[in-house]
Formats: sequence, C-alpha cells, structure tokens
Amino acid sequence: MDSVDRIGSDWGPAMFPWQRLKFSTSDKLWGYLLIAPFMAFFVVFFILPYGMVIWLSFVDWHPRGVTEYVGWQNYIDVIEMPSARKAMVNSFYYALMVVPASTVLSLVTAILIVSLRSSTLRGFFQATFYLPGVISGLAIAIIWRFVFDFHVGVLNFVLSLVNLEPVNWLGNVYTALPSLAGMDVVSSNGMAIIIFCAALLSIPTSLYDAAAVDGAGFWRKHWSITLPLLTPALLYVIVVLTLGALQVFVPVFVLTRGGPVHSTTTVGYYIYKQLIFYANAGTAAAAGLLLLVATVGFTIMQFRRFSQVVEF
Amino acid sequence: MAAKTVLDPRRRVSVITTVQTRLLPEGMASAMRYLALFLILVLGAISLFPLYWAIITSFKHPQDVATVPPSFVLTRPVLKNYIDLIQGTGVANAPVVRWFWNSVFTGMASTLGVVLLASLAGYSFARKQFPGRDKIFWIIISTMLVPAWSTIIAIYVLTLRMGLHDTYWALILPGLASPFALFLFRQFAMTLPEELFQAARIDGAHELQLWWLITLPLSKPVLATLAIFTFVTHWNDFLWPLLVLNKPQIYTMPVGVSIIMYQIQGAGPSYGISMSAAILMSVLPIVAFLLMQRQMIQGITVGSLKG
Repeated sequence: MDSVDRIGSDWGPAMFPWQRLKFSTSDKLWGYLLIAPFMAFFVVFFILPYGMVIWLSFVDWHPRGVTEYVGWQNYIDVIEMPSARKAMVNSFYYALMVVPASTVLSLVTAILIVSLRSSTLRGFFQATFYLPGVISGLAIAIIWRFVFDFHVGVLNFVLSLVNLEPVNWLGNVYTALPSLAGMDVVSSNGMAIIIFCAALLSIPTSLYDAAAVDGAGFWRKHWSITLPLLTPALLYVIVVLTLGALQVFVPVFVLTRGGPVHSTTTVGYYIYKQLIFYANAGTAAAAGLLLLVATVGFTIMQFRRFSQVVEF
Repeated sequence: MAAKTVLDPRRRVSVITTVQTRLLPEGMASAMRYLALFLILVLGAISLFPLYWAIITSFKHPQDVATVPPSFVLTRPVLKNYIDLIQGTGVANAPVVRWFWNSVFTGMASTLGVVLLASLAGYSFARKQFPGRDKIFWIIISTMLVPAWSTIIAIYVLTLRMGLHDTYWALILPGLASPFALFLFRQFAMTLPEELFQAARIDGAHELQLWWLITLPLSKPVLATLAIFTFVTHWNDFLWPLLVLNKPQIYTMPVGVSIIMYQIQGAGPSYGISMSAAILMSVLPIVAFLLMQRQMIQGITVGSLKG
C-alpha cells in the first residue's frame, strides 16, 4: 500500500510541479478517465442490481406485463411456503455437513503435504489435489452420477465387495443430500489445501526454536504457535467454503433436480425454480436477499469471533 | 499486527527448508514421514479416482461401459462415445460443434474485454491519485464476498429488459467488470518502479502511452495468468448461461451438455457419452492448469494471505 501512503505524507522536496499538489489536475482527470470504462460496467452490472433486487423483492413481476407493488408479500411467501422453508433447512444442513468435513480433511492433507521433505514432491501433490478443482462443477457432477449409480456405480460395487446391500444414493430421501455433500467434500478441497499449505510454510521456524528453548513439547508448540498463526487462513477457508455451500446449485441440478420429495432442494435450486419455471422474480429476489443477509451475517460473525483470537 | 509480518512472503524462502520437520514429533520423524507419504497417496488416489474413471469410461466401447463388476482398466479403446456425442446421436437438436464454438468465441471476447478494462482501471488505481480512489477500490473488492444468487436475479431481469437474452451479449457484458481481475492487476501494477513512469513522463509520454508502452509490456506474466483464469472461468460457467439461453443454437457447451444429460438420463451404456462430454469440457481447463500451475496456485493464495 505504499502508493496510498504517499498522498499527504512528506516525501522530501518536490522535484516536479505535479508532486507539490495533493491531487494534480491531470492526475485526477486521467485517473477518472482510465477507470471510467470499468466503472460503467461495474455500476450497471454490480451496483444497479442491488437496487433492482430490493425493488423486485417488493413487487409481483411478470416477464411481459405489469409489475405491481405487493409490499412484504414475497418475504411472507418465502418464510411461510413449506418448500422454501425446506430449502433453507436443506442448505443449512448441507453447509453443516460440507464445511467442517472439508476444512478438517484439507487441513490434514495440507499438514501431510507440508511434512514431506522434497519441495518438488510438495508442489506435485498440491497440484494433484488442486486438479479436480479446475474442472467445472458440471463435469464433476456428471462424473459422480456414474459413481453414484445404483446398478453399475463404483460406490455400490465397493459395498458389494464387503457384502453390504447396495444403497440408492441419490434416490433415497435419507441419503440424497448427504451424498451430494460427500461428493463436494471429496472433489473440491484443492483451494483450501493450497491455502493451508502456504500458511503452514510461512510460519517461521525461529518461533518453534524459541518455544523449544522455553521447554514447550510437541502439542504445546502446535497449540501455541501453529494454530494461532493458522487462524487467518482457517477463517478465510471457512468463510469461502460456507459461502459456496450455502449457494450450492449445480450438483442439485445435475444429480437430483431437488428430489426425491424436495429432500435436496437447496436455496439455490429454489431460487432457480422460482425464477425460470414460475417466472416469479419477486419471490426469487426475496429468497436471494434472505440468503445474502444470512451469509453476510455469518461472515461478519466469523470475523468478529476470530479477531479476538488473532490479536496477540 | 504480528501475523502480517510473519506471513511476509519474502521471508518464506529461508523458512521452507526446515519447517516440515517441526510439524512432526522429533525422533519418530522419518517413520512418520513415510506414513505421511502413504496417507497422501491414498487421499490423492481418492480425489483423482473419479477423473480417471471418467477418462477410461469415455474411451470404452458402449457395450463395456456399464458392466458388473466394473472393469478399471481400458482393454480396447474406441472413440465411439466422442463421435456419438459430437454427432448428437440419439438426442434431438444437438449442434455440439456449434456449442463448442459459442463457448470459445464468447470466452475469448470476454477475456479480451476483462483484461482490457481491468488493466486500464488497475493501472489507474495503482498509479494515479484522485479523490475517493481507495474507497471506490474497496467497494469494488467487497462485492467479491457477496453471494452471486442475490444479484443474479436482478441481472437476469435487467438483461431480459435490455433484450439481451439468447444473444452473445448476455454472456459477455455482465462479466466484463471483474473485481478479481482488477485486484490482481492493481496489486501487480503497484510493484512497478515509479522511476520508469517519471522518466517516460519527462520524455513527453501521455497517460495512455504509459499504460500501453510501460505497464502492459511489464505485466505480460500477470496478463497471461489473468487471461487464462478468465477464459477458464467463462468456459466452466454454467449457471448464468443456463438462465439466459433458451435456443439450442446459442447454447454454450455446458448448457448443451446438461440438456443432453437430461435427455439420455438413466440408461447404463449412455454413461459413455456422459463421460466423454465431461472429459471434453475438462480438457481445456486441465491443459490451462498444467501450463500455468505455479501462477494459478499463487493466484489462490493472493486473496487470503496478503489481503
């Protein structure tokens, strides 16, 4: 941020006329001119939609025809419709299954990778674990439909090896949502693993040496050094995973279409159905805004809680 | 804050060589290391298995695709599944080659636009001084943390009213102002030495020349990374095209594939076609990743550690 500090700070005698002013006219003019194209698109497709989505959530919207003001009706619909409530509960459960499992699995994997001696091998394994992450969620879901297949899928083949009954993974109310969550946990750890590896590798060894001099044991060192220094990375990963999990759509769309019996209808899929099948942008907007409030609330909560731990 | 200095990337070099021994208890370290290697191999195999399974299935003969027990090796590779997919066999109205082209064309147009806008604005945010600069920048960056679902509905209605649905414009325009691209480019442009710009100014260069003749040539690596990132993101994007495209002629690859999947759903041997579709969509991102591994992996950590 050094160029930020230069404004108003004393940088010695000004060599050129434009340095003497806080904001030279040409700097200002060019500054605005160069960001103008970006800002134009940003305002239309990022800022304007916030206003529009709030407006949409208070109207009954039709693709062709009149839109009329309906007050809080869309919000009442979202809160009172059993299918919408089911969607919120499902998304919550989904995040509850995915986030802790993914975080722990990727942290363990990162610790294993970092404990390797050869840096070539470390790089290789980081790339290996990240590879499935570059493929689109659609391709992953298509592949997993085969893995989950009742008759010819690999999962049921593995079960048959240990003499267990085959499971109808995606066709059963009890296993459908956990199956989607399991797929997510196995196939999208790359980002978290790489962040944890970078964080673990950046802990200076001098801290461990100092702790050893002070007589700290193995667990004590990790409790007092590794964990606190890992907190920012942990916070980032948890927030990003939670945002992703609460918005899940593609696996639902490809694998279950919300079924069986709404057992996998997540908020994302609910919004999609309201918007596309029922052309009901008002209800979709209200649900989207509720999701926004929930996720932003969660993010702020996490930052607050962790900030107490991080300050040392 | 202490954590900031500790995480300083410049100090990482001296640290890497010894840190791995500290994570394991001393004494049993070498036995533990073999155990660690073994566990990584197991985990890696699990995470890569679906991809391997999809690749070999896509090259199997349709008769060999859905067998019990499944065969995990490829005995007689054939291209039948890929040919069936590209010709749209058994599926109504599936111009797969056209879908491929739609994806490539809109992907390239988007990439060009994103890089152009982000480099202009990123240069300005990094090197120019104007009132409100940092406030505007952080507002842009903060939109990255907001769930896409909340505004996508409004953008859908907006583009519908603009008459952009079922056109290439609907795929290109909404993504042009990319906060991530701006962030990446601005962070890079801030590291360029000010002397270069001052020297060029004395030689009478104006701002567009500073951008075109100094900033862009120096940022070739970051531009390449950014371009590949953007293209792959666009190539993989599924939700947005699914919402705004309704005519088969204009579908992108992912939307088209999802429609094929819906039509051939359920039957055992058709998994061969599904897998070839999944692989066809994945080739480009995988190649891009293998080419740009290091930069991509750095790109992931840029937001988390230095932010």
